[in-house]
Amino acid sequence: MSRGRIIRDTLAAVTIVNIGVIWVAQAAANSPTRPPDLAKGAVIAAQGLPPSVPPCAQCHAYNGASDGSGAFPRIAGQSAFYLAKELRDYASRVRTNAVMTPIAKALSSGGIADVTAYYASVKAPYLPLASPDAMLIERGGQLAKIGDARKDLQACDSCHGPGGAGEPPAIPYLAGQYEHYIALQLTMWKRGLRNNSPDAMADVAKRLDAQDIAAVAAYFQQVDASAPAATQPMK
Amino acid sequence: MATRLRPVDVVTIGVGLTGSLMALELAKTGLKVVGLERGAPRYTVPDFQSPAIHDELRFSIRKAMMQDNVREAVTFRNASDETALPIRRWESFLPGTGLGGAFVHWNGQSFRFQVADFIYKTHIEQRYGKKILDPDLTIQDWGVTYDELEPHYDRFEYLCGVSGKAGNIKGALQPGGNPFEAPRARGYPTPPMKEPYFGALFRTGAESLGYHPYPQPSANLSQPYTNPEGLSLQQCVFCGFCERYACEHFAKASPQTVILPALLKNPNFELRSNCQVLRIDLDGTGKKATGVTYADATGREFEQPADLVLITAFPLNNVRMLLLSGIGKPYDPKSGEGVVGRNYCYQTTGGATVFMDERINVNPFMASGANGTMIDDFGGDNFDHGSLGFIGGQYVGAIMTGGRPIEFHPTPPGTPKWGLRWKEAVARHYNHTVLVQQHGTSTASRLNYLDLDPTYKDAWGLPLLRMTFDFPENDIRMSQHIADKVVEIGRAMGGKTVIRGGTKRPYTTTVYQSTHNAGGAIMGADPKTSVVNRYLQCWDVPNVFSVGASAFPQNGTYNYSVTIGALTYWALDAIKNRYLKAPGPLVDA
Repeated sequence: MSRGRIIRDTLAAVTIVNIGVIWVAQAAANSPTRPPDLAKGAVIAAQGLPPSVPPCAQCHAYNGASDGSGAFPRIAGQSAFYLAKELRDYASRVRTNAVMTPIAKALSSGGIADVTAYYASVKAPYLPLASPDAMLIERGGQLAKIGDARKDLQACDSCHGPGGAGEPPAIPYLAGQYEHYIALQLTMWKRGLRNNSPDAMADVAKRLDAQDIAAVAAYFQQVDASAPAATQPMK
Repeated sequence: MATRLRPVDVVTIGVGLTGSLMALELAKTGLKVVGLERGAPRYTVPDFQSPAIHDELRFSIRKAMMQDNVREAVTFRNASDETALPIRRWESFLPGTGLGGAFVHWNGQSFRFQVADFIYKTHIEQRYGKKILDPDLTIQDWGVTYDELEPHYDRFEYLCGVSGKAGNIKGALQPGGNPFEAPRARGYPTPPMKEPYFGALFRTGAESLGYHPYPQPSANLSQPYTNPEGLSLQQCVFCGFCERYACEHFAKASPQTVILPALLKNPNFELRSNCQVLRIDLDGTGKKATGVTYADATGREFEQPADLVLITAFPLNNVRMLLLSGIGKPYDPKSGEGVVGRNYCYQTTGGATVFMDERINVNPFMASGANGTMIDDFGGDNFDHGSLGFIGGQYVGAIMTGGRPIEFHPTPPGTPKWGLRWKEAVARHYNHTVLVQQHGTSTASRLNYLDLDPTYKDAWGLPLLRMTFDFPENDIRMSQHIADKVVEIGRAMGGKTVIRGGTKRPYTTTVYQSTHNAGGAIMGADPKTSVVNRYLQCWDVPNVFSVGASAFPQNGTYNYSVTIGALTYWALDAIKNRYLKAPGPLVDA
C-alpha cells in the first residue's frame, strides 16, 4: 500500500466515521507502514547494522537462546510485541541498560519490527544447564503456581500463564528463562531500578525476599516449555 | 438433641461482607464473637489462584461460588395466584455462599445512593404529589438520612480503597466526576481506573448528546492501597474475571482482602465454617433471643447461646431466618398487614447492544468488573418525572466486565442460533460490539413479597423461601422510557446496528439480571411498616439485628454493596456506642 493511499484512506475514515479518529491515530502510531520482514530481521540478528548496531547474535545467539550465563536473556520465541516494547523502552531510557540503550536508539521502528518478529519466530533448543538445588526448585514452584498466603503474594502463573508459558502479546514467558536473568530483574524491580513494566511487578517483587527470588528464578529456568506437561496446573 | 455450647457475647449468621465487618468491630471492643458460615473457608492464596480461578465453565456456568440449591433452593412465582416452584439453576440472581459470601464474587461496582433515595416517599410526594404513584406501590422512607450515613459511606470506601473521581465534594461540583453524585466529605481513596476503549466510545457519544459521562467508581483498584486496618490491596490487571469469580491478585476489595486478615488474627473471634444455622432460639416471652441452633457438616446439631444475634446472611436468607425463627409478623398480601417479607425488591436492568464498525477494536477481554464509563442523567430522580407518569430511573453506561468465551457471543438479530452462520457472526462481532447497560430502581409493590413455601423443604427439613415477584408497571414504563434514550446514545457512539433494551414483563428467573435482591426485612420509623428500626434492630426482639440489603425499603438506582457497607457501619456505631452500654430497644416502638 502506497503512502498516498494510506493518507487518503485515513482522511476518508476521519471524514466518514468521526468516532474512528482515535483508532486511526493509534493504528498510525503503533503499527509499521509495512508488515515486518523476517529475512531483514534475521540479517540484523546475524550482522547488525554497522556501525552502530552490533549483531544481536553476539550476545543472544542467532537462535535467541543466548549463552546460558544469564547475563543475557533468552529471547527465542518471545512475543514480538513484548520485545519491541522493551527495545522502545531502552531507547527512551524508561528501561536503562548501558549496552542496550545505544543499540535500541540506533534501530528504526521498521528495524525493531523486523528483528523482534524474527526472534519471536525462532524455536531454539534449551541449553543443558546444571540443575539448581531441588529444594529451591520446589519452593520456587510453589510460589509460581500457588503464591504465598503469608505475603499476600499471588502466583506468578496468574499473569505469566500456566508453567510461566507467557500470555502474549504483553506478558513475557518465564519458562526456560535463565535463573540469573530472572533474579537480577526481580532484584532491580524490588530496589526500584527497573520501572518500565506494569506497576504490578514492582509491587510483587517487593514482597519477595532474596530466598524467594532465588527460588522462582531456579524454578523457571528448569521448566522445559517444549514438554507438554510444563503447562499443566498443579493439582 | 442439640449439644449446648458455652455462651458467647455475639454470634453472626453468615460471614460475608456484613458478618465479617460486624465481627471485626465487635471483637475489637473485647466481645467474644463466633462467626457461623454455612459454606467453606477460602482464601486468596491458595484458593483463588489461576488458572483454576479462571475456569469459566465451573464458576460462570455451573456457579461454583453460589448457594447449593440442591440443598437449599428458593421457590419462585410471578403472582400470588400461581404455584411457586424451586429454582434449580441460578440464573437471574446469584446468592453467594462460603467465607466472604457474595462480596467475593461481586464486580466491585462501588456507588453511593443519592440524598433523595433515603427519603424517597417524602421526596416524591413533595415534588410530584401523591398521584404519580400507582396504587400498588408501597415506597417508604428509610428512617435514616444520607447525611447521617455519609461518614459511614466514607469509612467503608476507605476500607475498600475505592477508585473513582469525586463529582461533588461538600457541595462543590468536581470537573470529570458525576455532577449528580450526593455530596461527599472528601475524594475517593484512589484515582479512577483507566478508561477502556468502549468507555471512550460511550463518552464521546454521551457528550455529543449533552450528557455527563464519568468513570465508574470501582473496588478493583487503580493503584496499590493500604486500608485503615493495615491491609494492602494491589493493582487490578484487567484480567476480565471479576463477577462470579474471586480475585487472584489482591486487587478487589472483599472480606478476604480488606477485613478477614485483621479479623482472623483477633483472639476474640472464632470462625466456624460449614455450619448451617437452623433458627434463632427465643426465650419463653418470644421477645429475647437466647442464641442460635445450627447443624455442622456432619449434621450434628449445636445450640450456641449468645447475648446478641446478628443476621448477616445474603438478603434473601436474612428474611428466611426471621421467618424460620418466628421473629416479626409475616406479611399478608391480602390484608397488607404484617412486615416480614414485605417490600421485596429487585433491580430493573437491561440495556442496548451496540454493533460497531469492524475497524473499532473493542478488546472486551481487557476488562475489570467496574471499569465502565457512565451517565447519571437518567438516574433516580435526576430528571423531571412530572409529565412522564412513573418514578425512578437508571444509570446508563458502557460497562463490559470481560469478553469471556463461553458467555460473550454478540450476534445481531436474524443470526441463526447455531451452526456455521452463527460462528461467522460471532467472529465478525465479538471484538466490535459494545454493551450499554441500564441499571436502576426497583419500586416496592404490595404484590411482591417473600414468605415460606408451603410445600418445598431444604436438606434440613425446613421450608424454602418463596419469592413472589413481577416488575411493577411503573418500572416497566421507566425502563422503556430510558431504553429509547440509550438507543440514541448507541447511534451517537457510531453504532451500525443498535439493539434496543428495556425491561418487559413477566420477570423470569432464567436470565441473569442482577444479584441485588433487596427488602423483605425493611428498616423504618414505624413498627407497623418495618421489621427493623433505623439501626437495623428488630422491633420485636431487640437483641437481634438484621443487617444488609434486606433492610432497603425499596431499591435505588445503583449497585448496592457500598450502601450495605455504610449501613453496617451505621448500625455498628449504634451497637457499640449505645446498645452495649444499655442493651434494649434503641428506638421506642
